[in-house]
Amino acid sequence: MATRKKVLLKVIILGDSSVGKTSLMNQYVNKRFSNQYKATIGADFLTKEVVVDDRVVTMQIWDTAGQERFQSLGVAFYRGADCCVLVFDTTAPNTFKNLDSWRDEFLIQASPRNPEHFPFVVLGNKVDLENRAVSTKRAQQWCQSKNDIPYFETSAKEGINVDIAFQTIAKNALAQESDEGIDSAFSPSLTLGSSSDSNNRPNSSDCSC
Amino acid sequence: MYMWNTSSSATQRTLNSNPQSPTQLDEQDKLLSEALGVVRNNAILMKRNLDKNRLMDGLKCASTMLGELRTSLLSPKSYYELYMAVTDELRFLEVYLLDEFQKGHKITDLYELVQYAGNIVPRLYLLITVGLVYIKSNPMTKKSILKDLVEMCRGVQNPLRGLFLRNYLLTLRNILPDTPVGKDDETGNVHDSIDFILTNFAEMNKLWVRMQHQGHSSEKSRREKEREELKILVGTNLVRLSQLDSVNLEIYQKIILPSILEQVVSCRDAIAQEYLMECIIQVFPDEFHLQTLDPFLKSCAQLQSGVNVKSIIISLIDRLAAYHQRNEKAHIDAADGSIIPIDVQLFDVFSIQIANIVQIRTDMPLEDTISLQVALVNLAQKVYPDQIDYVDKVLETTTQILENLNMSSINHSLAVNQELSRLLRVCIDFYNNILTILDLKFFPKLLSKFDYTSRKALALYLVMNILDNETFIPTDEQVDAVLEMLSPLIKDQEDQPADTFDPEDFAEEQGIVGRFIHLLKSEHLDMQYKILTVAKKHFASGGTQRIKHCLPSLVFQAFQLAYKYKAVAAEDENWDKKCQKIIQFCHTTITSIARAELPDLALRLFLQGALCIGQIGQTNYEAVAYDFMTQAFSIYEDEISDSKSQLAAITLIISTVEQITCFSEENAEPLRTNCALAASKLLKKADQCRAVVACASLFWSGKKDNEEMKDEKRTLECLKKGVRIASQCLDVNVQVQLYVELLNSYLYYFERGNSQITVSMLNQLIGKINEELPNLEKSEETKQIERHFNNTLAHIKSRIESNLEVSFAGISI
Repeated sequence: MATRKKVLLKVIILGDSSVGKTSLMNQYVNKRFSNQYKATIGADFLTKEVVVDDRVVTMQIWDTAGQERFQSLGVAFYRGADCCVLVFDTTAPNTFKNLDSWRDEFLIQASPRNPEHFPFVVLGNKVDLENRAVSTKRAQQWCQSKNDIPYFETSAKEGINVDIAFQTIAKNALAQESDEGIDSAFSPSLTLGSSSDSNNRPNSSDCSC
Repeated sequence: MYMWNTSSSATQRTLNSNPQSPTQLDEQDKLLSEALGVVRNNAILMKRNLDKNRLMDGLKCASTMLGELRTSLLSPKSYYELYMAVTDELRFLEVYLLDEFQKGHKITDLYELVQYAGNIVPRLYLLITVGLVYIKSNPMTKKSILKDLVEMCRGVQNPLRGLFLRNYLLTLRNILPDTPVGKDDETGNVHDSIDFILTNFAEMNKLWVRMQHQGHSSEKSRREKEREELKILVGTNLVRLSQLDSVNLEIYQKIILPSILEQVVSCRDAIAQEYLMECIIQVFPDEFHLQTLDPFLKSCAQLQSGVNVKSIIISLIDRLAAYHQRNEKAHIDAADGSIIPIDVQLFDVFSIQIANIVQIRTDMPLEDTISLQVALVNLAQKVYPDQIDYVDKVLETTTQILENLNMSSINHSLAVNQELSRLLRVCIDFYNNILTILDLKFFPKLLSKFDYTSRKALALYLVMNILDNETFIPTDEQVDAVLEMLSPLIKDQEDQPADTFDPEDFAEEQGIVGRFIHLLKSEHLDMQYKILTVAKKHFASGGTQRIKHCLPSLVFQAFQLAYKYKAVAAEDENWDKKCQKIIQFCHTTITSIARAELPDLALRLFLQGALCIGQIGQTNYEAVAYDFMTQAFSIYEDEISDSKSQLAAITLIISTVEQITCFSEENAEPLRTNCALAASKLLKKADQCRAVVACASLFWSGKKDNEEMKDEKRTLECLKKGVRIASQCLDVNVQVQLYVELLNSYLYYFERGNSQITVSMLNQLIGKINEELPNLEKSEETKQIERHFNNTLAHIKSRIESNLEVSFAGISI
């Protein structure tokens, strides 16, 4: 499957409310930043074409609501993600503390095949602000303890490290996607041949009525 | 020619199961996993066909896959999962088609082609996908295709399917025209996007509202739960509008907001209204809200009666207050003044509109009305921290509302009471300064509307705040006002229930009040006097139980004030008169304590007063001090009857007489004699003995013409009398204990050079003790006595060895 001409990568951005998830995505995709605060409700994506290792890939970046009350339909959009980006605000320690629960929540809900090696990337955003409250060291330690998650300190406002972070995200997502691709190459025969699902279905889909 | 038969299994399955009963989770899971299986299989086939460039076969698979979305059996959450799985796969089709177009493989009739899909749901999903590809490859078609799609989606009128289909339409986000009005070309401008989204929004809202009215009424709560879950699909329209960069304030103000509000108000559905108003607040920027408060708040007044308008407004206020605080720092640096535009009278607008809402929405519970006032105070405090008048205005309005309803003595168990309490507490907590609270004219008025329990709770809250912040209250007027507010703690209230007295709580609360009195403090001594006078007026009416806790604090404050005047005597020629007044103040205060049947307390304060007067030395001080002493004596004689209290009291009197220096012999002698007399008249022998021995000090270190008397003979007489009384004691234990104590007293005066005390006297005492001690029964008490005695002997021994001024030689240990 790795030979397919175009690859579609699904990336999910998670993190507490107002850490800058939407701003990071907008800065990366549209090269724009606004100080205006607009809450995200539900989940929403933008796409961007990038070249990774000489391959053109389409990144589908899912921006999500940090506030739980805005996820009334659940988090079905986690499914099929190739990479998960965890964002915190370097000036708000609580948003850093919550990374654990965001990561756990993602692993439970998305149930990736290999949770131990599922690619995460952590972004410490708002480094342009003066009142920093989470040190680089502290963030790095956390990332190391979670199977060496890559860590970037970003500013969506100034565009600091945003491109390089997403480049890494794309690269790691692509590696993940290739693994999954191999798996799915085998699956059709399995599902078609022996799936009890399709056999038990009354009047399965090839019925001509 | 391409009549694709997408006879989807989803509809087939419908025949075999009851569409109304898939409520069980297992059933849902099964249905969902079946559908997901079909999607997975068809997606794989679709991709294989596309890889081999077999477009028609690929589209057919896509259509079959999409057919799964025709189901009516899934709950919103399950349907959402299915939708996500399907649309994830559709993106592969989209990527493929785009790729083909970019390579120049024009498939011009694709848009018509997909219209042959047999069922409307798959057909429309495919149309949207293909439409997107068309627009991307040929922007000139944008305007007409968008119009076309949003109209065609009307074909699906089932709420659940329609909502998701239109949500898919909204994923066209990337290609929505977002340029300001300019050349009117086919690619469109931002107004086309606005029309497109607003149309979609109106349609989605209709579908969503319609759900409420479908099905059996017994399933109302399930339906409402499902609607709650689906709300974000409708809200996404508003998100799309907020994402259009070309939308400026003017467009928002003139086109977007009025259309949304019109839709919201006219749909007359409480769930939709509540959610969409909240959604507007959250997704559009603060800068827009600030300029559109009036229309927004006016619409709030028109919402259905079931809508929680209170939370909508509080949410908006919270958001704007947070915005203000977020930007405050940045703006101080930028020096361009306030964050809230000058022409936006934030407080006034909210104040007026809230009043309007309260008036129109007569069904709103009173506690909600009060919650809104709390929100207003929050706003005023966060955005205009210096404008106390704003806060006072809210309190005035609130008082007015209560008065219009003829409400008073509002019961503490009512929800209204809790909101009202919160209103006052918010004020107390924000200023952390009782003096600022005093500037709020309507604070006490509102306070008086509560029942006794709440008034007392709030008074306690106020006092604790004053103590925590150590706020000094520096004028008599302020003291008067504060004490008025604290009245439930200071005196009995007319509406006070009789049966709620808890002595422990009461003592704790009065202890707090006692601490508070020390904060009634001015740096100016004359003002301090006025403060004490005012305070006394309040506290004196507190009744016996309270007087015990409060008046002593006042008396001590007064003593301190007298000392202060004395210290500035050189600067204030009237110090003497003022001190006389203060002492007078103390005298009457202590007298009222005595009258409140608190003799022990009054006695101590009189003694303290006598000492104080002796040190101040104002005009006629001796006579006044003597009067204080005689007052103490009469209390002792008339009021104190318990023998323990008597001993304690007479001991205090004796030590006061011993300490005091201001008496001439004419006054001192009767006091000493009376002490000795009173001592010998005590009931118990042991008490007598101890008091008489204490009297010895009167003749030794007691003062005569400012000198210690050192009357050896009379000192010894007291001691001898003590020994005599001890010898009459029948309880051997007590007797030996008294002997040991006496030995110590003898030693004390012996060491200090009373030549009348001889070694043989000491030896005699020691002999007596040695004789009696072994006869005592062994007990903890005996052990104590023994230890005391041994320590005394050890002391004598060390004295003998150190050869000091007085000869200890000859004492037999």
